[in-house]
Amino acid sequence: MDFKLTEEQELIRKNIREFCVKHVDPIAAEIDEKEIHPADLFKKLAEGGWMGIPIPTQWGGSGSDYLTNAIVVEELSRSCSSTGFTVSIHVGIACMLINLLGNEDQKKKYLVPLATGQHMGAFVLTEPGAGTDVMAATTTAAKDGDFYVINGTKTFISNGPLADTYLVFCWTDKAAGRKGMSSFIIPKGTAGLKPGEHFHKMGLRSSQTSEVVFKDCRVPKANLLGPEGAGLGNAMLGFDHGRVGIAAQGVGILQAALDESIRYSKERVQMGTPIARHQAIAWMIADMATDLQAARWLTYHAAWLKDQGKPFSKEASMAKLYASEKAMHHTIKAVQIHGGYGYIKGAKVERIMRDAKILEIYEGSSEAQRMVISGTVLR
Amino acid sequence: MPTLIACFKWVIDEAYIRRGSDGKLDLSAVDYKIGEYDRNAIEEAARLRDAGGGGSVIGITVGTTEAAKGVKDGLSRGMDRAFFIADPDFRDLEPARTAAILAEVIQSRIPQYDLITCGEGSSDLYAQQVGPRLAELLGIPCVAFVQKITLGDGKIVAERKVEEGTEVVSAPTPALVTVLPDINTPRIPGVKDTLMAGKKPVTTITKRDLPSMPEARLKTVDMKAARMERSCEKFGTDPGEIKKFIDALVRKGVIR
Repeated sequence: MDFKLTEEQELIRKNIREFCVKHVDPIAAEIDEKEIHPADLFKKLAEGGWMGIPIPTQWGGSGSDYLTNAIVVEELSRSCSSTGFTVSIHVGIACMLINLLGNEDQKKKYLVPLATGQHMGAFVLTEPGAGTDVMAATTTAAKDGDFYVINGTKTFISNGPLADTYLVFCWTDKAAGRKGMSSFIIPKGTAGLKPGEHFHKMGLRSSQTSEVVFKDCRVPKANLLGPEGAGLGNAMLGFDHGRVGIAAQGVGILQAALDESIRYSKERVQMGTPIARHQAIAWMIADMATDLQAARWLTYHAAWLKDQGKPFSKEASMAKLYASEKAMHHTIKAVQIHGGYGYIKGAKVERIMRDAKILEIYEGSSEAQRMVISGTVLR
Repeated sequence: MPTLIACFKWVIDEAYIRRGSDGKLDLSAVDYKIGEYDRNAIEEAARLRDAGGGGSVIGITVGTTEAAKGVKDGLSRGMDRAFFIADPDFRDLEPARTAAILAEVIQSRIPQYDLITCGEGSSDLYAQQVGPRLAELLGIPCVAFVQKITLGDGKIVAERKVEEGTEVVSAPTPALVTVLPDINTPRIPGVKDTLMAGKKPVTTITKRDLPSMPEARLKTVDMKAARMERSCEKFGTDPGEIKKFIDALVRKGVIR
């Protein structure tokens, strides 16, 4: 058993940390407050090859692996969860799905600009009445010669307002049940595709989220991603990859909670001694460090399995479930350690506590993860 | 097209140093990095290469075998190839010995070069000696504390930061400069830079490959963490207490 990262992975972690200290930390509070997508920052991320880490160089990526991508998402999220997540969904779902399922023409046309970071991707599945229950979706793609005509409304779409490439899931044959959904690559500007306005959210506020509405949106057959009827499986494959990214985001948030709690508890003096020396605080920090370590290894293990070509769906769900719930739990504790100062806008722990909540909800709620895990272990 | 040599050192990352309960430095869980000033040296060599429309940057470092990661790090920062002089005995070498080893390797293995760049000092011991000593051993001009360089026509023109202003110095090549942090902003390597680094050529040289080394003359006897003494005395607000407060300040030498 070898728990060592490669030298490259260690160096890449140092480099992205340096990048975050220089480019992300200084703007994280402001882009949260103003709900701004930091376009300049993403340009720099693209220049460094951070927007397509596990994608082969042939398709514009950096030719690294999924574990390295998880490490990068973790470090970005440690500084700014919105930034980490935006990279995670772009790379982990949009790029990965086209890389795994797309044909050569699709990779040339769509994956190269995505993996180089010139374009941004979005995963378009959720509907107002279809969250965990994907089968309740109502968006349809009706065949019309060499085209499909898409109608329906998707919601809570991350990168919705700014994506260049949308991966859209809809029914081509509702009667066929699980084999009736298909996935499409739809570029922005396609007639009938209309992204909505950015939703104002509790946390993850600089990540842009909106509805995406399709009204008689004609998409050529060539834009089918994978075979017709394979959409549900494709979505689940996307989730498996995406969940490792969300787990990494949770690990980054946990690390930030620990960083801030250690720093503050050593500085803050009450009753004549730094509060870190009060057992009540020290034990909170001990639990935080322990859960961080557990979450990190669960996450790295899921990513490593993926890189080894082994099944990783259950492990991705376990990592996502654990990292998400521990991130929520410990960011609340981090605010507690900071007391009143942690409740004030501008305190990092205030931001990360708001950011943590969504981890338990999106890309499969904690309840959905328990369904996946129990479904596997009880099989 | 210029050939540039960038010297660098793989040093303890000070962010990981802890103070042990006995006041000594606790280095049990430290990580390492390329010294801060040496990053400027590598970046400047890469910049001059690119400004010259080609050429190459050869990195060179002396250290223990664990510094192999540092060589990869250096190669990801713009170096084209590297000499890695590695031996378990090369931990905490004194500047004279480091300079002698570098001089031996440069003389015996790099027949032609235009400029050697060094940081103004290492970011661990900061003795600021290796650069000037190396230039002396190689018999080439040394310009220290440089904040701007141009290279061409068989010479360098370097701006040095001196106490009252800037001094502009010209020297024939080959030459050696030690650079200040404000000479450039070192790049943050991208993912591909790091992945490609492992594919660049590295020549590893061990102690056995070197002729005799100068004897060590310096010995580190002890190293302790800096300690700031703090004391706390409480005073009241009545005139008698304020007098005591002033007396205490006088006693401590804060006021006279």
